[in-house]
Amino acid sequence: MLDRVRHLGNIAIMSGIQEATNQFLDVTLHDNQRSVPRAESDIRSESEHLHVTIGATVPTGFEQTAADEVREKLGSWCKISKDRGKIYFDIALESLPQVHCLRSVDNLFVVVQEFKDYQFRNTKEEVLKDFEDLAAKLPWSDPLKVWTLNTSFKKKKTKRKKISQNSSKGKLESGQGDKFDEKDGHEEPGRNALDSHILDYYENPAIREEVSTLVGDDLASCSEIDGSPREETEPQVRKFRVTCNRAGEKHCFTSNEAARDFGGAVQDHFKWKADMTNFDVEVLLNIHDNEVIVGIALTEESLHRRNITHFGPTTLRSTLAYGMLRLCAPQPTDIIVDPMCGTGAIPIEGATEWCNCYHLAGDNNPLAVKRTANNIASLLTKSQIKEGKTSWGLPIDAVQWDICNLPLRTGSVDIIVTDMPFGKRMGSKKRNWNLYPACLQEMSRVCRPGTGRAVLLTQDKKCFTKALSRMGHVWRKVHTVWVNIGGLHAAVYLLRRTPQAFVHPSEQDGKELGNAKNEDDQ
Amino acid sequence: MKLLTHNLLSSHVRGVGTRGFPLRLQATEVRVNPVEFNPEFVARMIPKVEWAALVEAANTLHLAEIPTEPAEGYEHDEAFLRKMHHVLLEVDVLEGTLQCPESGRLFPITRGIPNMLLNEEETET
Repeated sequence: MLDRVRHLGNIAIMSGIQEATNQFLDVTLHDNQRSVPRAESDIRSESEHLHVTIGATVPTGFEQTAADEVREKLGSWCKISKDRGKIYFDIALESLPQVHCLRSVDNLFVVVQEFKDYQFRNTKEEVLKDFEDLAAKLPWSDPLKVWTLNTSFKKKKTKRKKISQNSSKGKLESGQGDKFDEKDGHEEPGRNALDSHILDYYENPAIREEVSTLVGDDLASCSEIDGSPREETEPQVRKFRVTCNRAGEKHCFTSNEAARDFGGAVQDHFKWKADMTNFDVEVLLNIHDNEVIVGIALTEESLHRRNITHFGPTTLRSTLAYGMLRLCAPQPTDIIVDPMCGTGAIPIEGATEWCNCYHLAGDNNPLAVKRTANNIASLLTKSQIKEGKTSWGLPIDAVQWDICNLPLRTGSVDIIVTDMPFGKRMGSKKRNWNLYPACLQEMSRVCRPGTGRAVLLTQDKKCFTKALSRMGHVWRKVHTVWVNIGGLHAAVYLLRRTPQAFVHPSEQDGKELGNAKNEDDQ
Repeated sequence: MKLLTHNLLSSHVRGVGTRGFPLRLQATEVRVNPVEFNPEFVARMIPKVEWAALVEAANTLHLAEIPTEPAEGYEHDEAFLRKMHHVLLEVDVLEGTLQCPESGRLFPITRGIPNMLLNEEETET
C-alpha cells in the first residue's frame, strides 16, 4: 500500500512543468465547481489569484539551499523555521505543479494557520480543550481548495499514464535488487516492448530482471487506484488522520494526546471519518515550543528516494544529494565526480538537475557500480517515456575504480561530491583512520587547483577533521553543514582546492621532472 | 563509456605517472545514443579536453574526421560543434579494452563500464 502511495508522489514529481501546468489548468475549473461551496464572486478568477503558504520539510541543515532553490524556481522568498528542517513560502495557486518539481524538499504541506506565539494554558485539560475549540475556528476553506486541486492533479497524472501505457503489452517489471535492499518495491510479472530496447544493453538475465522502472511501478499503482474506493467521481465521506509533531520542554501534553483531541474536533467539524492508514486528508499539527502550525499534507510519503530504484545498504536521499550538489554551485561544463558513488544517488541527481555539467560515478564495489548503471538506465527510461523524446543519453558515466588510486588525470576534475563511509553502517571507524587521509590526498590530486571544490558527507567528523588538518596546503574548509542522517549526526564539509599544484611525493626528489613540468602547464 | 570519459581516464599503474595518459582504446562493441545537442556546452568543453587524445580515440573508432586542432572561430561553427558533440557524448563503448601506454596493462570495458581496479602489486603506494 505504502509503495503505491509513494509512487503517486513520484508521478507528481516526475511531471515536467509544461505538461503539469496544462493538466493543472484542466483540473482547476472542474474541481472547484464540484467540491467547493460557491461564493458570489467568480470562482475561476478567485482561484487563479489565490495565494497560499506552503510548508516544506527539507534535510536538516539544508534549509538555506532549499530556500535558494525556491527563490530561483518560484521567485518566492522563504521563511526558515526555527523548527529545523522546515521552510515556508507563499505562492500563487497556479504555481503548485512547480512546487512539486522542487528537488530539495522531502515533503510538502499547505499551511492552514500559523501561530507564532501560541499561548498554552496551564493544565493539560485546558490545553487540549483549546485544541478542540481551535478546529472549528481555523480557516480551512482555502487550504482545502489547494488540497483538492493537488489531489486531482495527481490523480489525473495517474490516469493519463495508464491510458498511454494500455496499448503496450503487459506491465513492466519492478526492481527488487538483491538481498541487501531495504524493503521497497514489489515484483510484477511481465515485460514490455519498450523495456527490451533498454535491456539490450545488458545481456545477463539476472541484471535484466533488476532493471526496473519507476514507470513500471506507476502502472502497478494505476491499476490499484482504479480498484480502490477513492474514485474522484463519487462523492463520499472523506477519510483523514491527524499527525502531531511536538518539540519543546515546557509542554504539559504529549503529541498523541494533542492529535487525538484535535482530531476528534476535526472529525466533528467536517463529519469526516478517521482512518490511520487509508486516509485522504492528512492534517498536520506541528508544535515547536511556542510555534504552532496547522497544515494539510500535499505529499503522501517522502519523495526523497525518487531517483533510486535499486537500493543499496546505505543509499543517500535524493534531496540530500541535491542539497550537497547545490552547495558547490556547479557551473556549466564542470566535471563532477563521485568517487565512492554507491548506488549513484549523487551523480544521478546531478545529471538530472545539472545536465550542462558532466558527471562521473565510480566505486570499487562491482555490485555498487552495477546498481548505479541500472539506476542510470532507469533514469533514461523514465525521461524517454515522460518526454517522448528520442534523446537517450545523459551526461553521466560509471567506472569501477579505487578511491585511493583514481585513474583520472591530475587536475582534471572541477567538483568532487561524495558520501564518505561512516563506519557505522558501512566500513569501520578503524579503517577510516587510514582511508580518510588517502582519500583527501587523491582527491586533491585530481581536483583542479584554484577553482576546484569538494563537498563531503561524513559521520566520522573527528577522523575527517584530523585528516583535513594535515592537508591545509591543498584543501581549505569553506563551510560546514550539520545534518541528520537516519538518526546519525553527520556533517557536510564544503572544501575549496587551493591554487597549489599537486606535487607527487616522488617528484619532490626531482625524480620525475617530466611530471612536474606537465603540472605547471595545467 | 563515452569518449569524454576516456579523455579523463589515465593509468595509475605504479611508476607510470603522467605517461599513463592517454589510454589506448580498443572497442568490440559500440552504441550510439542520441543526446540533446547543447552548442554552448560543447563549445566550452572543447578547451578543457585533451585534444590529441580525443582525435586518437575518435580515429580508433572510425568516427568522422576531426581536425588536429580546433579551427579559429570554432565556437560559431555549428557543423563542427555538432560533430564534436557526437564524438564526445553520443558514442558509447560497450565492450572493449583500455591499455596503459607505458606498462601495457589492459583494463576491460564491460557493459559500458571500464574496470580500472589494480592488484596490490601494481598500485602506487
